[in-house]
Amino acid sequence: MKRFAAFLIEFYQKFLSVFSYGSCRYYPTCSHYSKIQFEKNTFFKAIYFTITRLLKCNQLFDGGFDYPVIKFKPKNIAFKKIDIIYWYVPVKEKKDHYYIIKNRNWTNEHK
Amino acid sequence: MSINDNNLNKQETQKRILLATVLAFIFFIAYDFLYIQPQQEAADKRLIESKKEMAVKGDDANKAPETAVAVSEAQKNEAPAVKDIGSDAIISTVKTSQNIIEIDSLGRVAQVTLLGSQYITEDGDKIKLFESNQLRPLEVRFSDRKVNAQAFESTATASAKELDASSSKQTLTLTQKLNGTTVTKVLTFYPDGHYDVKVSATNSKDFFVTPGFRPNVLADMYADHGALLKLNDNTLTIVEDEDLDKTANFTGVKVVSAFDRYYATVLYNLGTSMSVTLMPDNESNPQIFIHAKDSIELSGYMGPKEYRTLNALNPELTDVIEYGWFTFLAKPMFIFLQYIHDMVGNWGWTIVVLTVLIKLILYPLSYKGMVSMQKLKDLSPKIKEIQEKYKGDSQKASMHMMELYKKHGANPMGGCLPILLQIPVFFAIYRVLLNAIELKGAEWILWINDLAEMDPYFVLPILMGATMFLQQKITPNTIQDEMQKKMFQYLPVIFTFFFLWFPAGLTLYWFVNNVFTVAQQYYINKLFEKQKSLKK
Repeated sequence: MKRFAAFLIEFYQKFLSVFSYGSCRYYPTCSHYSKIQFEKNTFFKAIYFTITRLLKCNQLFDGGFDYPVIKFKPKNIAFKKIDIIYWYVPVKEKKDHYYIIKNRNWTNEHK
Repeated sequence: MSINDNNLNKQETQKRILLATVLAFIFFIAYDFLYIQPQQEAADKRLIESKKEMAVKGDDANKAPETAVAVSEAQKNEAPAVKDIGSDAIISTVKTSQNIIEIDSLGRVAQVTLLGSQYITEDGDKIKLFESNQLRPLEVRFSDRKVNAQAFESTATASAKELDASSSKQTLTLTQKLNGTTVTKVLTFYPDGHYDVKVSATNSKDFFVTPGFRPNVLADMYADHGALLKLNDNTLTIVEDEDLDKTANFTGVKVVSAFDRYYATVLYNLGTSMSVTLMPDNESNPQIFIHAKDSIELSGYMGPKEYRTLNALNPELTDVIEYGWFTFLAKPMFIFLQYIHDMVGNWGWTIVVLTVLIKLILYPLSYKGMVSMQKLKDLSPKIKEIQEKYKGDSQKASMHMMELYKKHGANPMGGCLPILLQIPVFFAIYRVLLNAIELKGAEWILWINDLAEMDPYFVLPILMGATMFLQQKITPNTIQDEMQKKMFQYLPVIFTFFFLWFPAGLTLYWFVNNVFTVAQQYYINKLFEKQKSLKK
């Protein structure tokens, strides 16, 4: 189910987003947001957050930065060298809640 | 991600988009020419063949649905050698204000001819609903093989050869005497074209009544056709043609309907529910049989699936009009459109009014967006700076843009929701255009004489593309990425292609939508120019 949702979003991003290009009021865009939700959250929570995000994506709301937040308890932390895909940034005053921010490889950025 | 990667990615995206467009385009054309047309031809051929077959064989096409009690294996094989004797002999003709109903010598409905001036074929003839070689409405079949065989041999007598029910209701009694039983059909025809029927048999054996095989005026791939059952819990069961593999039984049925795109033959009893068997014919098309014993009372309708007509008979019957899986939105859309149509009087203008209404509802939203877009025009040097700085990394650029917007309390993007909302509206209109008989042959102005068909001269799609281009020109653009900017510019061309074969009504909707967006944007642009010159 989750994989199917992810597939649908990827399909949208690849082929259909030309039609709606440059309309999202948020960063990351609704489709990226939703994709992370489906990857990191439970299915129904992901659906819920995706729908609320879409509903908020209109001119009555300010838009801007809105990262996915998940509830998560870190355990079995292994200290070794890994490839970082997402950063988990703790949400202030909300225990066990983390923003998920996609890691980017900044090394070659400013040549 | 390195710059090189990014460039590669962009090329990749460009290729993909181009590919997607071309593929979609090819798909639609190929689907039409390679799939739909041959299917249609094949269907026509099959029809002719099956007609021939029927004429030669006279097989066991007339057997009743096999209930477990009634038929054993042995009986199955002894097909009653029945010929459709005298089926072309009409024993009674009933005229109502809507149609002419002909009854054949076996007491069945042989043909229904629609009288309304809009119901004519391309050649200008009045539309006739049924195929002669198919299961006929009000045919009675018995579980008992012998009685059944006889029922197809003995002719029925009618109480009147001609009836005129065009101003007041009239009753017709059909009697068929068989060995040991008499089948009586008491039919009451109403001026509006519907009828009540009471079928009784005197031998207290199981028998079946049918609304007949579906009308065959327009049954194509664009809309469903087959059988529809409405159950007591108001759920619908739809079995499309060629989809019924084996006999299926249903209880608690309120309404049965056999339908093509625009027409249906319906039997209903909203008080006492029916038991129904769906039996496949030689081509797996569903045939509807209603169970009866001793006597059964039903009401029936054979004609166009017009919302008003069915609603007048009983609001429950409007479910017979179905728009595919999208009915839940298409039906309210149709009712709303009809409401506007009552005031406007023309379906083309109705669509225009609908567009204006949607624009008005969304006006506060789009106004806000356009205002903040104008604010950003003053920020354009800063935006340019960001674009220069993060050339080749659109994601990072858009992140910094977002920061800039935040700082100045403006956000030029329209948002995903308004765009997503367009999709269901758009699709609902599409389904209504395809399925609602009210919009068949609906005219607008000049060359548009059927909103449900494509624009024969491609004028509307081209106008649509032109207005879309204009809209892009007049709207301040915030796309930073060069590549995507180019794609964006090609969008009107792509859209025009897509719309070439769409129903004209749909293109009209999108065209008017664009015109109003452009007008709105133009007005706001002017407003800001004025304000600016005042400040100076």
